[in-house]
Amino acid sequence: MAHRRAAVVALTILALALPFLFAGNRFYAFILGITYLYILWSSGMNLLSGFTGLMPLMYAGLAGIGAYTTVNLVMKASVSFWLAMPVGALAAAVVGVVLGLPSLRLRGFYFTLSGLVIQTALTMLFVYVPQFTAGDTGISQIPPPSIPLPGRTFPLTGVWLEETLAVAAVLTVYLVRWITRSTLGTYLVAIREDDLLTEALGIDVVRNRVLAFFISSLIAGVGGAFYAHYMGFVSPRSFDVLTSLNTWLIVGFGGQGTILGPIVGTLILAPIPYLLQELYLYKDIIYGGLIVFTTIFLPRGVYGSFLFYRRTRAAARAAASPKPEVARS
Amino acid sequence: MTLEAILLNGLAVITTGLVVGAIFSLVAAGVTIMYGTIWLPNASNGQFFMLAALLTWSMVIGWGLSPFLGAAVVIAGAIPFSLLLEKCLIRPFYNVPNRNIVYFIMTLGLAQIFAGAFTGTYGQWTDNYSIPAAWPGALMIGPFPFPRTRFLVLLVSFSLLTGLFVFLRLHRVGRALRAVFQNREAAILRGVDVRRIYRFSFVLAMLVITTGGVLFAMAYGFDLTMSWTMAIIAFAIMIVGGPGSVLGSVVIGMIFGFTQAAVSLFASPTLATFSYLVVMLIILLVKPSGLFAR
Repeated sequence: MAHRRAAVVALTILALALPFLFAGNRFYAFILGITYLYILWSSGMNLLSGFTGLMPLMYAGLAGIGAYTTVNLVMKASVSFWLAMPVGALAAAVVGVVLGLPSLRLRGFYFTLSGLVIQTALTMLFVYVPQFTAGDTGISQIPPPSIPLPGRTFPLTGVWLEETLAVAAVLTVYLVRWITRSTLGTYLVAIREDDLLTEALGIDVVRNRVLAFFISSLIAGVGGAFYAHYMGFVSPRSFDVLTSLNTWLIVGFGGQGTILGPIVGTLILAPIPYLLQELYLYKDIIYGGLIVFTTIFLPRGVYGSFLFYRRTRAAARAAASPKPEVARS
Repeated sequence: MTLEAILLNGLAVITTGLVVGAIFSLVAAGVTIMYGTIWLPNASNGQFFMLAALLTWSMVIGWGLSPFLGAAVVIAGAIPFSLLLEKCLIRPFYNVPNRNIVYFIMTLGLAQIFAGAFTGTYGQWTDNYSIPAAWPGALMIGPFPFPRTRFLVLLVSFSLLTGLFVFLRLHRVGRALRAVFQNREAAILRGVDVRRIYRFSFVLAMLVITTGGVLFAMAYGFDLTMSWTMAIIAFAIMIVGGPGSVLGSVVIGMIFGFTQAAVSLFASPTLATFSYLVVMLIILLVKPSGLFAR
């Protein structure tokens, strides 16, 4: 166990140190920032799609609500980003739960199906209310977050922006890890494995699902707010169904229901569109193809398959050399 | 508004509602058959619809075929295409217990592939596709002109829906298909070859969706955003009408068609899509099995 804890600490330190290592090259630093954003987003989605067994296809739309709420508060009401962001995240979570509640009461599949409809309606809504979203043109020149110090404010620029995202991503991963190890996390996995049996054991399935969805939507909203203020530009395209789908692809490709899976998926997939810009036209074909590939050939994901392989090998070894179980205690 | 204007608007809503509703019903019937039998919620139905419409456009505009011939070629081509899809992508999951979610994700991926391919090819050429009328001229309903092609499209889609209905009620294979809808295990016990029924209903549903796309291309101009819109409208119809119910998809499809026509005329098509969302959420809250479920 000790070497495992050391690995976690080392990974955390590495994640927090990376922005400084990449500080010399703005392009790579930017890709690093995007990677942190997607680690945050995909970990939040993983809480729902991986640990609870509900695939939220409206995830990007909720992130959009978080982003637009925050951007409007910051740019029109000149609220500090650090006050506006929680409000935006809360808005995303409340909208998510209100729209998701009818289907959360049903079998998980209805949630996914109605998620597609909700996501499409949200994308249309963003185009339909240009007074808040500037329609298809999008909102540009969104200021980066700043730290208010007594006397003057200190805007986060350059490496400090990526460092902020790194901290946010690390905190999110820790939050998800903490939840999955709590009683709630145990309930969620039980619901994923057999909702009827869980209900029969006296656990309120709907309430725990709503709770998981609420937390996951909060994370989506936080990610949306950071996305807007990191990119400096948002349009309804940033939060359409393909964004939801690609976030799922990152989770599914990495390994659903594992803490490291979304991180592995993000590291492999998130930088692709930026590193291979000449392939931009084929991005949707590549991502869509990967989704089909993952569902057919890699249902456990890269990291999940690795864990499975290690487990089966350990089991085979144990079977080959049976040890007396009594001797252990 | 004068009386004449009201009358003209009313006729416009009725004719557009009929044509659009019939096409919605066709696509939703395809989607609901696929979900009812195979448990396959086909999220790429809108892309197959779009593929059919775009290919018809290519046949007529690019190759100079007559619209009827182009339509026939596209519909005939759908059979080998869907058999291939079934073999490669659908069949491997027939025995997976929670296959509806797996299928849903996979067809979403498929939809993304098609969406990317369409913007990369067709999207480079133009952003609005329309083909010349297959049957030029217009029928006059009083002072109101109703293009003949749209009348023909209406006729064809209604006869197709009726045919589908009769087939599912009376024909041996159609009844086997409905038996699988209603009770898979009992159907197996009665000697229905479920895997063959799966394959058959996939091809049948694909044919229905393809025909919907072809008919839409003949009746109206379209653009690439239609594909996602069509996909979610078909799903909303399926949820409201009740998954697996062709009657439900026809009735709700017609209602949604009239809503689309009326709301688009007086407000905007976006509002129509919001109204579907609201109706769908209410149905999920009140009667989640849909209005026409048995």
